[in-house]
Amino acid sequence: MRNLTSLLFAAGLAFFLLVIAARFDLGAAPMLVGDAILQEAPAETGAANIVTSVVLGYRGIDTLGEIAILFTASLAAGLVLGRRRPEASRDADSGAVLQISAQLLFPLLLVVGFYIILHGHLTPGGGFQGGVILAAAFFVPLLARPGTSVNHTGLSLVEGLAGAGFILIGLLALFQGKAFLQPLLDKGTLGMLVSAGTLPLLYLAVGLKVGAELAGLLANLADSEVDP
Amino acid sequence: MNMITLIVALPLLAAFLLPISDRALGSVSRFVGPIVLLMNIILIMTLWQKSEGAPFALALGGFRPPLGISFYVDQLALLFALLVSILALMLWPYKADTNPRVFGLMLLLTGAASGMALSGDLFNIYVFFELLSVASFGLVASLRTGAAFAATTRYLIISGFGTVMALTGVALIYTQTGTLNLAHLATLAPQQLDNATGLTAFALILLGIGVKAELFPVNTWVPEVYATASRRVSALMAGLVSKLAVLVIVRLMVLIFPQPEAMQLMLALGVAGVLIGELSAWRARDFVRMLSFSSIGQLGLVFVAFSIPGEAGILAGLAVALHHLLVKPALFLLAERWGGSLGRLEGAGRRSPLAAGLFVLFALSLVGVPPLPGFWAKLLTIVGLLGQAAPLYWFAAAVVLVATVAEVNYLFRFGLTLFKREEQSAQVHKPHARIDLGTVSVMGVVLLTAMFLIAPLGERMQTIADQTTDRGLYISTVLGPVGGAR
Amino acid sequence: MSDPELHWLLYGGAIGLIVIGAAGIVMGKHLFRIILALAIAEAGANLMLVVAGLRPDAVAPIITGGMIPEQMVDPVPQAMVLTAIVIGVGIQALVLSLAIRVYKAYGTLDMREIRLKMAADIDAEAGVDDEVSQEGPAGERPLELPDAVTSGGPGQ
Repeated sequence: MRNLTSLLFAAGLAFFLLVIAARFDLGAAPMLVGDAILQEAPAETGAANIVTSVVLGYRGIDTLGEIAILFTASLAAGLVLGRRRPEASRDADSGAVLQISAQLLFPLLLVVGFYIILHGHLTPGGGFQGGVILAAAFFVPLLARPGTSVNHTGLSLVEGLAGAGFILIGLLALFQGKAFLQPLLDKGTLGMLVSAGTLPLLYLAVGLKVGAELAGLLANLADSEVDP
Repeated sequence: MNMITLIVALPLLAAFLLPISDRALGSVSRFVGPIVLLMNIILIMTLWQKSEGAPFALALGGFRPPLGISFYVDQLALLFALLVSILALMLWPYKADTNPRVFGLMLLLTGAASGMALSGDLFNIYVFFELLSVASFGLVASLRTGAAFAATTRYLIISGFGTVMALTGVALIYTQTGTLNLAHLATLAPQQLDNATGLTAFALILLGIGVKAELFPVNTWVPEVYATASRRVSALMAGLVSKLAVLVIVRLMVLIFPQPEAMQLMLALGVAGVLIGELSAWRARDFVRMLSFSSIGQLGLVFVAFSIPGEAGILAGLAVALHHLLVKPALFLLAERWGGSLGRLEGAGRRSPLAAGLFVLFALSLVGVPPLPGFWAKLLTIVGLLGQAAPLYWFAAAVVLVATVAEVNYLFRFGLTLFKREEQSAQVHKPHARIDLGTVSVMGVVLLTAMFLIAPLGERMQTIADQTTDRGLYISTVLGPVGGAR
Repeated sequence: MSDPELHWLLYGGAIGLIVIGAAGIVMGKHLFRIILALAIAEAGANLMLVVAGLRPDAVAPIITGGMIPEQMVDPVPQAMVLTAIVIGVGIQALVLSLAIRVYKAYGTLDMREIRLKMAADIDAEAGVDDEVSQEGPAGERPLELPDAVTSGGPGQ
């Protein structure tokens, strides 16, 4: 009975969505907002990457909500999983090849991560993409040597300060009589590394936050209580 | 006026810094949450006074409205933002052994809820809604029992399913209109969304957001979650989180989907919720589950009331929602010490007469005994339903009346159990914690005050309902000469 | 491939992913497969969102070397999808950690079994099965599980 209802639901959903899609004027997106943003964004924010202008400027509070969601998920996962007791046994370390290559990869991944974060307003990429690479940089050595304990204090310090930095930059504009999260500073020349006002700073905060958050989540999963 | 964004930013900022301050300052950081909430309350009150009830719009980041995200602050938004902070403060986990992470989750929940009340952008509402959901997952699981984990997992999967549906709905709307600003959408909706696509998008969003609003058929998580979460969290979920989901749906319905078909869909789902909720509550054998099912029924009633077209529906729905927002948390707090099967509670009321008296007061109001506020809420709903021509509305009125009979029956039965003569087998229940009983007493006083001030309150709510239904006002406030940006 | 065909493929793919995911969620029995179905459905919704901003012969909305391209795709859905993906990652991490705890508590990932055991736990905590045991003589509880536990109780 339950299966039948589920099947009917899925079939109905497929039918409805397909019927609706058939009515779409495909490929002629009514870009009311999109077109206006494409025209105004370079002058208004000074960022060459217009997606970045949208992510941090036009829809900046979405991004704040999003890093808050990641923070909440990691907080809740920490609450659910609990902390491993120090005496609990761990997996054995892997062989020398993996350990050494993990150590070699660490600085490379850090550089790539920061490069992608800092060029987020110029090239594809940005805080989220770079943040994920930063998290990987910290997690690869941990995979190679499961015995090392994770520095939870450092991670929570970075995630807290980066998140607070994002909000404080927003509040700075608010207390100057502008709107919350309004870009400040000089917009500079389009396409230069130092341009687009506070957007690169915001992206740096996002990148550090995402990196610390994901590293924390992974470390929590790896470091959860062994016994129930 | 820009300061209103602080009620979203401050709780998030405090939550981000809480893990650090907890390490550095220890137990001092316990007071951060209540202080932030108090600041929020003061801020909202001052702004409400300053705006004198006139709505204003904010352009976040200073980008002109349809391009950037805008907040729309009318009396309804301010009212809900205020209730969020007040209720979160009343239901704050004050217990000494609370995990500090729970404080962070509470702050994130209030920040997200305030954002949902203010936001005037479809995708931004979705983001805040997700933040609210994730924070509620953490809070629900915070007792860390096996049953709590299992219930949270099921709740999360149903929510995740709802998220996908809602996101698909948002995508459909964006494909049709190319904008996300609610005011901009409201101007485009009559041409672009008054068709099958618009209706499907509404149904998908209703299904997605309805998970939190305990809407039939995506409410199977309700009894399990409320039974396994702490009572304060259950009270917060049933009282506050569900109402915010309803608020979003009402905003969308007024501005973008005023089609009669959308209303009837909501009505049908609401009626199913009333029937199933109240009948299951009637069959329930313990107090907490009785309250959970009754909550489903009451939320169904909220949807039924809001589905009445025009101002009458908004007024009735607002009355039912606000009444439930006060009564259900109070009953959940009373359930803190009245868990267990009904049989075991025999004579519990004789040992704590104050708690039993408060239960009777809230139960009478829930049923709708005049002159308590619950009566007026139900009266508005039934009169509104009977005022409609469509037979579905008459059927809904009949269902609401039948459900009320079931409600009377089970609440009366429970009340009788409380006052039964003690038997030897009856278990000794611990008396209610002073803080719980105090909170419930305050809520009881509010309920009684509302009873005496019902006429001015009614007028106030009428103005709020007027303002909420005024689409033109919303559009001109947000898109017109960008007022309030200063 | 011509443009209408490509669009149909993308829309059809998005709808297919959503439907496959939704069917997996409502019909799945195994918790981990349900989580995977959730991820698939999210991918479908994200694809649908990003296709909403597609138009023929358009490039990514990035200005390189001071040249402003003639046709650029809509940047708003791209930003939204970025947000939605990150939200999805957070939720998946959370549900996986919950799944670990559920497995530790109940020793199974079968949703039906989890549901039965959870219902039994809730009933036991609420003391709903008490009435059964009170009928026996004092001090002697029935050894077999009461009905409420085996049938899952009224919450079904």
